[in-house]
Amino acid sequence: MAQPLVKKDDDRDDEADYSPFLGIEKGAVLQEARVFNDPQLDPRRCSQVITKLLYLLNQGETFTKVEATEVFFAVTKLFQSKDIGLRRMVYVMIKELSPSADEVIIVTSSLMKDMTSKTDMYRANAIRVLCRITDGTLLTQIERYLKQAIVDKNPVVASAALVSGIHLLQTNPEIVKRWSNEVQEAVQSRAALVQFHALALLHQIRQNDRLAVNKLVSSLTKGSVRSPLAQCLLIRYTSQVIRESANTQAADRPFYDFLEGCLRHKAEMVIFEAARAITELNCVTTRELTPAITVLQLFLSSSKPVLRFAAVRTLNKVAMTHPMAVTNCNIDMESLISDQNRSIATLAITTLLKTGNESSVDRLMKQITNFMSDIADEFKIVVVEAIRSLCLKFPLKHRSLMNFLSNILREEGGFDYKKAIVDSIVILIRDIPEAKETGLLHLCEFIEDCEFTYLSTQILHFLGIEGPKTSDPSKYIRYIYNRVHLENATVRAAAVSTLAKFGAMVDTLKPRIFVLLRRCLFDNDDEVRDRATLYLNTLGGDGAVVQTGEDVKEFLFGSLDIPLVNLENSLKNYEPSEESFDIYSVPREVKTQPLAEKKAPGKKPTGLGAPPAGPPSTVDAYEKLLSSIPEFANFGKLFKSSAPVELTEAETEYAVNVVKHIFDGHVVFQYNCTNTIPEQLLENVTVIVDASEAEEFAEVASKPLRSLPYDSPGQTFVAFEKPEGTPAIGKFSNMLRFIVKEVDPSTGEAEDDGVEDEYQLEELEVVAADYILKVGVSNFRNAWESMGADCERIDEYGLGPRESLAEAVNAVIDLLGMQPCEGTEVVPNNSRSHTCLLSGVYIGNVKVLVRLQFGLDGPKDVAMKLAVRSEDESVSDAIHEIVASG
Amino acid sequence: MILAVLFANSEGNILVERFNGVPTEERLHWRSFLVKLGAENLKGVKNEELLVASHKSVYIVYTVLGDVSVYVVGKDEYDELALAEVIFVITSAVKDVCGKLPTERLFLDKYGRICLTLDEIIWQGYLENTDKDRIRRLVRLKPPTEF
Repeated sequence: MAQPLVKKDDDRDDEADYSPFLGIEKGAVLQEARVFNDPQLDPRRCSQVITKLLYLLNQGETFTKVEATEVFFAVTKLFQSKDIGLRRMVYVMIKELSPSADEVIIVTSSLMKDMTSKTDMYRANAIRVLCRITDGTLLTQIERYLKQAIVDKNPVVASAALVSGIHLLQTNPEIVKRWSNEVQEAVQSRAALVQFHALALLHQIRQNDRLAVNKLVSSLTKGSVRSPLAQCLLIRYTSQVIRESANTQAADRPFYDFLEGCLRHKAEMVIFEAARAITELNCVTTRELTPAITVLQLFLSSSKPVLRFAAVRTLNKVAMTHPMAVTNCNIDMESLISDQNRSIATLAITTLLKTGNESSVDRLMKQITNFMSDIADEFKIVVVEAIRSLCLKFPLKHRSLMNFLSNILREEGGFDYKKAIVDSIVILIRDIPEAKETGLLHLCEFIEDCEFTYLSTQILHFLGIEGPKTSDPSKYIRYIYNRVHLENATVRAAAVSTLAKFGAMVDTLKPRIFVLLRRCLFDNDDEVRDRATLYLNTLGGDGAVVQTGEDVKEFLFGSLDIPLVNLENSLKNYEPSEESFDIYSVPREVKTQPLAEKKAPGKKPTGLGAPPAGPPSTVDAYEKLLSSIPEFANFGKLFKSSAPVELTEAETEYAVNVVKHIFDGHVVFQYNCTNTIPEQLLENVTVIVDASEAEEFAEVASKPLRSLPYDSPGQTFVAFEKPEGTPAIGKFSNMLRFIVKEVDPSTGEAEDDGVEDEYQLEELEVVAADYILKVGVSNFRNAWESMGADCERIDEYGLGPRESLAEAVNAVIDLLGMQPCEGTEVVPNNSRSHTCLLSGVYIGNVKVLVRLQFGLDGPKDVAMKLAVRSEDESVSDAIHEIVASG
Repeated sequence: MILAVLFANSEGNILVERFNGVPTEERLHWRSFLVKLGAENLKGVKNEELLVASHKSVYIVYTVLGDVSVYVVGKDEYDELALAEVIFVITSAVKDVCGKLPTERLFLDKYGRICLTLDEIIWQGYLENTDKDRIRRLVRLKPPTEF
């Protein structure tokens, strides 16, 4: 039997190492629980046994169904005891055992008796226990008592009923919603905690009733809220009201004064809540942000880690949308890089990386280097990702940032961390041409001593694509060939493929590559040998300095333009026979496509919800999809695909969005359709497009969607011809036409006969920005100067009164659809002039650079000087025309 | 919601572990994560000095109280500041029960009362009572004094 509990005396400190639960065992304690059945109950002993049971449960121990039932029945006997201490223990124990519905009945009468007892504390506890174990039927029986309890004079009873209500709302909402009058009364309670609990419950009951929440907030923001906890709730509800009110004009934003006033509250919790609410306001202005940022800045140097963390976490979020607003805090933030708490330090660094300017990058990197050695991988990954974004923002700094990445690549670290670094280097190589050669060498050095097969093969593949295009491809061969000697079979096989790619692309290297490939013929792994044989034959056996044929290059470098899912299905269906598997028999059409992001207005996720998923398809995938459709196959190369544009409101019967695919002489609209009605099957779905407001467009093809079952998205296409190489614009109205068939919900089978029906969609526009690709340049000045002034066009424009300079800058960027360079899309606070640099590629593959100089003319009027340089003067003129007509 | 309250001794053994809304299969992961967090950061920390961490969208506030370490995990409205309030209530109530900073032995001696105290403070993931004097009375089934 386990040791009995010993009552603590002050003089027993020397026995500190002796645990009262030493050697405790579930079986023995369950035996001991038989004392609950004694006719003469010993309350002290019973309490000790319950404590042991609690100890077991709190260690993560579980009771089987039989054990729990046995203990539960025994515990119910303890209601006979009048001992107060024991009764309190019994309440806890019943909650812990959470008996099943058929057992509950045993204690219901005892608890009901306690709930109507004159002793307040029995009432409070009985309410909590009953609500924990009750079901709907029992709840209706006790509802009357619960409603009384909510307005009980004793705050403990009221709180018990209110918190019960919060829990019960999840399981029995229709019952709890009937209590709103009582809850409303409790919100006015003088007891701080009762008010807090009542406010939480009332809001939950009424959260879908916008008017009621508005009323609640209006009355409470004027009156007195007694506890900081309730005040925090009120701030949260207030920001919900602000968010949902249509008026986003800063000047008369409702309740802003209340939020601002809360910044001066004595409780830190309230100050933070208010500061966060302000920073998360829609279209928040600098004037509104400033007081919140100021208080957050003060907390950055607080002695309490929780406050520093809260402040830096909030500022980090602000930095994502308003980096300039946070720059004032940079000095305080820099001192946090050495904060003992690594979460704080990481947040500080990532914030600084977002807000820093080009000149501070080097200093920042020096500080980060010291910091990196003593943080965990998960933090390091966050920093690496932030550095990658910084490098893309300031491409001129690629040298020091790339060096940093290569240094940390050499240090110890797990797979995810190393992968994050490698991914970053690869992205930088792709986006910053100047960084390519050094980046590739860093990767080469890394694979010399890389313990992760996956990363080695990925890098080898990347080297095979990028390496041959460099000025001196031969210098990479050594690193690649070393892999054939030193690594496992998977990496060796990847190295062979990479070598072959160098051989195919660089004719002068071919003879030497052949020597190396021949050596691989003696490898002890089948795959390595097979690859070597295959490549030697494909590239032309004798290895002379000859040009490699296009079909061989296509074989080596071309992507597998068959959806992998389709290939997998075809292979599964293939039955081994005389006839070999024919890869051309695999269908190329992508069957379904994930739903595009819905244009859901209104609710913004609160807290730290996952960010919405990005657009589902890349240009590559679109290109493959379109080229697999014979009607569009001769349209040439796809120039640009827009982001999906919603043509229906959220939550309508049929959800449709459209992607605009721009070709040189054609435009294809891809309508992504989803049928959200389970009882319907749509067939022969087409979109009838009226192009009367798009004179230059003529419909040439339409590809209907054969069948659109419930919740399985599909696509229909309409193609238009337009004058070649010109940015024709126009407005299109759309009507969804289909045959609808009823579906039997029980069998899922559709009826044979259908009815033709139509569904009006919203209009769609092709605008000038659709003809410009967002393509950045790493060094704008160099690019500008090398482009020369031959095709330069300069003009000045008055943009009229604007809300702010930043708003004007963004409007022009959106109008042109070009890529902002060097972070110039961000307008510093209070500035009266700004220069923004844009770059892009105009249809016909003409590079365009734009220099926009904005100035405030008077209090609100914005004037703009637009200088355009491109390789073709007609394109420079076209850009001016876009701005002039926009 | 307050997802977890956990007490451990100086060796990282669990003394109390209470979860709300955390699936059983994730509990072990949380237990080892928290104990590791404490082992890495709590050395030399002053009593009741609050440390903070976040893991995905979940916040953790933790501290040392005598020989035991206390961890509180929350999400959504229970962010680092609300958890700081919760852990403050917990530590002051536990000190009150023990009469001083608890040794491991003292904590275990007062185990039953500590369970009752936690039951008064957190109810299925929601903060219910915050005042240590009131909590002391409630575990004895006595009404609050201000009433």
